[in-house]
Amino acid sequence: MIGAALRRTLITAAGVVVAVLIAFAVSSIAIRVAGADPFAAIAAMFDFGVRPIDQVDSVTYWINRSVALFIAGLAVAVGFRMNLFNIGVEGQYRMAALVSAFVGGQVLLPAPIHLTVIIVVAMAAGGLYALVPALLKVYRGVNEVISTIMLNFVAIGLAAYLVRGPFSGRREAGRLATATPELPPSGHFPDANFLITMFGLPAPRGAGLYGFIGVALVAGLVIWLLLERTRFGFEVKASGMNSDAAVASGVDPRRMVISAMVLSGMVAGLIGLPEIMGRNHNYGTSFTAGLGFLGIAVALLGRNKPVGIALAALLFGFLDRAGTPLQFDGIPPAVVEIIQGTIVLMVVIVNEVTRRIVLRWEERRAAARLGEVPAGAAA
Amino acid sequence: MTDTLAPTRPPAVELAGITKRFPGVVANHDVEVTVAPGTVHAIVGENGAGKSTLMKILYGMQRPDKGSIRINGEVADFRTPADAIAAGIGMVHQHFMLADNFTVLENIILGAEPAKAGRLDRKAARARITALSGAHGLRVDPDRLVEDLGVGDRQRVEILKVLYRGARILILDEPTAVLVPQEVEELFGNLRELVAEGLTVIFISHKLDEVLRVADAITVIRRGTTVASVTPGEVTAGRLAELMIGSELPTPETRESTVTDTVLLKVSGLTLDQPDRRRLLDDVSFEIHRGEIVGLAGVEGNGQSELIEAIMGIRHATGAITLDGVDMGGWPTRRRREAGIGYIPEDRHRQGLLLEASLWENRVLGHQTVRPARKGIWIDRKAAREDTARIAEKYDVRAPGVDTLALALSGGNQQKLIVGREMSGEPKLLIAAHPTRGVDIGAQAVIWDHLRDARAAGLAVLLISADLEELIGLSDTLHVILRGRLVARLDPGDLTPERLGSHMTGAAAEPDEAGAS
Amino acid sequence: MLRIRFGKPALGALAGALLLAISACGGGGGGGGDAANTGASGSGAATSDLKVGLAFDIGGRGDKSFNDSAYAGLMRAKDELKAEVKDLSPVGDGSNRGELLRRLAGAGFNPIIGVGFAYAGDVETVAKEYPDVQFAIVDAPSSGPNVTGLTFAEHEGSYLAGVAAALKSKSGHLGFVGGVESDLIRKFEAGFVKGAKDTKPDIKIDSKYLTPDGDFKGFKAPDKGKTAAEKMFEDGADIVYHAAGDSGLGVFQAAAAAGAGKWAIGVDSDQAQTVKDAALQKIIMTSMIKRVDNGVFEFVKSAQGGAKGGKTISYDLKLEGVGLATTGDHISDVQDKVDEAKKKIISGEIKVPDKP
Repeated sequence: MIGAALRRTLITAAGVVVAVLIAFAVSSIAIRVAGADPFAAIAAMFDFGVRPIDQVDSVTYWINRSVALFIAGLAVAVGFRMNLFNIGVEGQYRMAALVSAFVGGQVLLPAPIHLTVIIVVAMAAGGLYALVPALLKVYRGVNEVISTIMLNFVAIGLAAYLVRGPFSGRREAGRLATATPELPPSGHFPDANFLITMFGLPAPRGAGLYGFIGVALVAGLVIWLLLERTRFGFEVKASGMNSDAAVASGVDPRRMVISAMVLSGMVAGLIGLPEIMGRNHNYGTSFTAGLGFLGIAVALLGRNKPVGIALAALLFGFLDRAGTPLQFDGIPPAVVEIIQGTIVLMVVIVNEVTRRIVLRWEERRAAARLGEVPAGAAA
Repeated sequence: MTDTLAPTRPPAVELAGITKRFPGVVANHDVEVTVAPGTVHAIVGENGAGKSTLMKILYGMQRPDKGSIRINGEVADFRTPADAIAAGIGMVHQHFMLADNFTVLENIILGAEPAKAGRLDRKAARARITALSGAHGLRVDPDRLVEDLGVGDRQRVEILKVLYRGARILILDEPTAVLVPQEVEELFGNLRELVAEGLTVIFISHKLDEVLRVADAITVIRRGTTVASVTPGEVTAGRLAELMIGSELPTPETRESTVTDTVLLKVSGLTLDQPDRRRLLDDVSFEIHRGEIVGLAGVEGNGQSELIEAIMGIRHATGAITLDGVDMGGWPTRRRREAGIGYIPEDRHRQGLLLEASLWENRVLGHQTVRPARKGIWIDRKAAREDTARIAEKYDVRAPGVDTLALALSGGNQQKLIVGREMSGEPKLLIAAHPTRGVDIGAQAVIWDHLRDARAAGLAVLLISADLEELIGLSDTLHVILRGRLVARLDPGDLTPERLGSHMTGAAAEPDEAGAS
Repeated sequence: MLRIRFGKPALGALAGALLLAISACGGGGGGGGDAANTGASGSGAATSDLKVGLAFDIGGRGDKSFNDSAYAGLMRAKDELKAEVKDLSPVGDGSNRGELLRRLAGAGFNPIIGVGFAYAGDVETVAKEYPDVQFAIVDAPSSGPNVTGLTFAEHEGSYLAGVAAALKSKSGHLGFVGGVESDLIRKFEAGFVKGAKDTKPDIKIDSKYLTPDGDFKGFKAPDKGKTAAEKMFEDGADIVYHAAGDSGLGVFQAAAAAGAGKWAIGVDSDQAQTVKDAALQKIIMTSMIKRVDNGVFEFVKSAQGGAKGGKTISYDLKLEGVGLATTGDHISDVQDKVDEAKKKIISGEIKVPDKP
């Protein structure tokens, strides 16, 4: 007999798998409408190239993409756990990336310290930017969804101003893109190509495999410990499940809103760093935007659990990468967006269904054991 | 089974061999009920005996696996409540389902609006409601807002609502649970009038005195099946209780007084304003000694919730509250709990449980800052699990294991878990709101025993209950709260529920007993 | 009740699976549809060894403007040079631009064109990885020996648009809608304002950017473009010039809705031809054409001839890289003045600023 907790996890995981399969089924209709063969399209998604170097590049892009999505999902999940909808991850990570890239470009330090400074500055900036909606919610009752959406606009505008004005670096002649000053080499995060070359494979080109994956994994572990094992995590969970019961249990709702929001913002601060420290080495107009919003989908798909988020990030990363080989086969890349959108929609539906199944199953199991009708069934 | 009246008409309701299984559990089996037309028929049983499932089957909310339902002699196969309503069955739920900001009239016609040329025909509706309330003695002003009505009035609205839809057979689920004795009398008067008009009433209850007073026939359910059909003349309350549980009825009587001289909780001048309305709490002052149970009687909504929430630090009221001589004024809830206040909330689902979390996590709830749940910054999962198992054992919480989700437990078991949790860690003060609400008679006795034992060991208890016998039986001192004020301090030694009831409604204001200490 | 609730999603799943099966059968039997689709990419039409790859920026094909102009150049290369062509679009946030270039190079495409200045960094990196492949970048200077920069004097073309608009305006009030407030789009504004003010010093010009720098939504938000232009027309402007990619469609809609005598000026392509809606074509007075198509085509042609990169070609008025479209003959009455200004710019008599 497997344990109740394990069985709940298995049912939940099965639900997500079903959701993904349904999404692929639905998307195959879209592919068909687009005039292509769904099976060829799915095969194309697994086309990583012919030569080893192409395959290594493809996998590297996939992992790199997933690293950023994972952190983004993590940041969103911290808020979701207590029913705080931090839509502002988008703005928080952008501000954090800009400020940390600028600060990192101003100092010259030994590499370990330099890297630490950039990371700490990013987390501080993200956390501070998240503090604003937290304070607004606690002291003025402003809904965090509204305030964070507004603050996203502010962040976009402010970042655009800063990167062209006070924070702008030297621009190469004729280039139109603006950026912060280049990070000195000590601020470049070393790549993790050894993870690939140790298998006798060629090293990926371009920026290589982001070494920041290590930081991401540590962040995932820390968040897991914090949420699942500590008193703080318990209070977050209690607040999210039943805020009245949490208050009656001595949890201070204001403190929880502020700490969960700031923690979410601090994690958000890390989202842009793989790109800034590992590839671009500055914050510029071509900085990847929109990861905060994708993080919402990833967190939903991963059911706010670090392991689930990691898997969801890998799935989304895989789909993003699949857009390129699909285009080689003449299938519009919008198919990828359709699949992603359908997956999120399906997961939301299936999540609710599996939640009910799990609850029903629990009730029945308890009732079967005790031979009485549970309170839930009578309600 | 037993036909108590020689039927000239076919039975209004005839349930034969009804069996309903949920996977792994039989909720009802071989249920036989025959309800004669024009009678009040009571169905009694403990919580969890299967009364609710049976009524859901009769009301079309669930379908039986076996057995037949006949309504007025005709075989019925209800798939939805709409089918049951069409067959003339109406249900008055225990929890009222009324829209507060609508008038009585609007509530009654909601969902069955009479239309004339597509427009709401208020005039026709009003005429019909007036006729109905006149015919059945259900006095209520159709133009009042429901939010201004008392509990008894609301119940009449619910009954009218059902009659308005043409019901001839009324099911009332625990209708007296929310009423004070005077209102109960009124309800019973209404029921008699309905029956006199030829309607049939099915009355679900576990309050045996009431059943014996109002019912023409009684069917007893135990462990999912009907064990007896009797008439009030044949049985006593004691015999009925034996039929229900197979043992004697426990009483909430406390034994000798254990009240000490030490004041543990002192509340003085507690006041809670609300803008533009009357005060929720108005200069409330009282004391609780070690070893004393102080009961607080009052009709729901007269400030009890606000008072206990103010003591817990969930609401902020002006005035002084001292615990063991220390002013708790600025303390947050957490510190009050850590100082030794246990809290059994009035609504366990709202304030007492994380329904979708495991039992051991619910054990931690409210005690996350103290041992055994806490180890430094961590939650001590092992210790929490072990202690949950201990509570389950000691308080007879029936659950498959400590990893079970709280929502899978029956209401009684949930309540026992909460009581066990709040009694852990040897609290100095226990705030117990409805500690035995929804708990079956056996478990009720267990909880009362634990309260009495803890009282003997020096626990101070503030007890709030809608069960007046429980209040009178357990309390050493009784206060009556009305509109936010303590209006009477009574000695439970020579108090009847009826007299207490009249204090609660403000009808009795004898000056010799009035005035808070 | 629960059974009913479960029923619907379960039914949906079943339906989805059935549809998958149906579509799979269809896919097996109907290869013709696929061929038509891939045929558009040109793999079947190749008769020379030339394989040209082109990577769009966010927004991609179908903007009836900048990107479509690049695509037109690619199509011309396909037809005239018998090239095999392939165009790719990035994911929504543009994070895989480098991946697209690498993928094209890996598949043997040469030359490869990155459309848009956002490709600058990635073209530089990937060009180093593939020194034997010729790259071009539109709107950015060369960044390596095998990279050709293709830049355009948008400010000069916009100057002419400003001249034409100032002459045609009856209210003496013009508008400018920029997609994203980047330095590139500010070049358009700078030239337009200068051209208008040089022609009529007291003319009034409203300028509005849809999104700030770094937020590329401004190129894909016709609703925002429409709102901005509506406001300008309400305030009295009678001609609005846009440099806003897809969002320009909204500007045209606003002009059409504003009634007779209101005009819009298109950008990048000859939008009076590329816009499908006839009602909108009528209100496009002219378009400031940026001959990205010429730039792309000429680059492919010279690469075929063995030319190497390392230089930046500036498509200005002299090279006919920018200019005004004449579709509809709406500006024939002021053509003289426009040509005069053009001559002065080419001769250096007029210096057009590239910053407002």
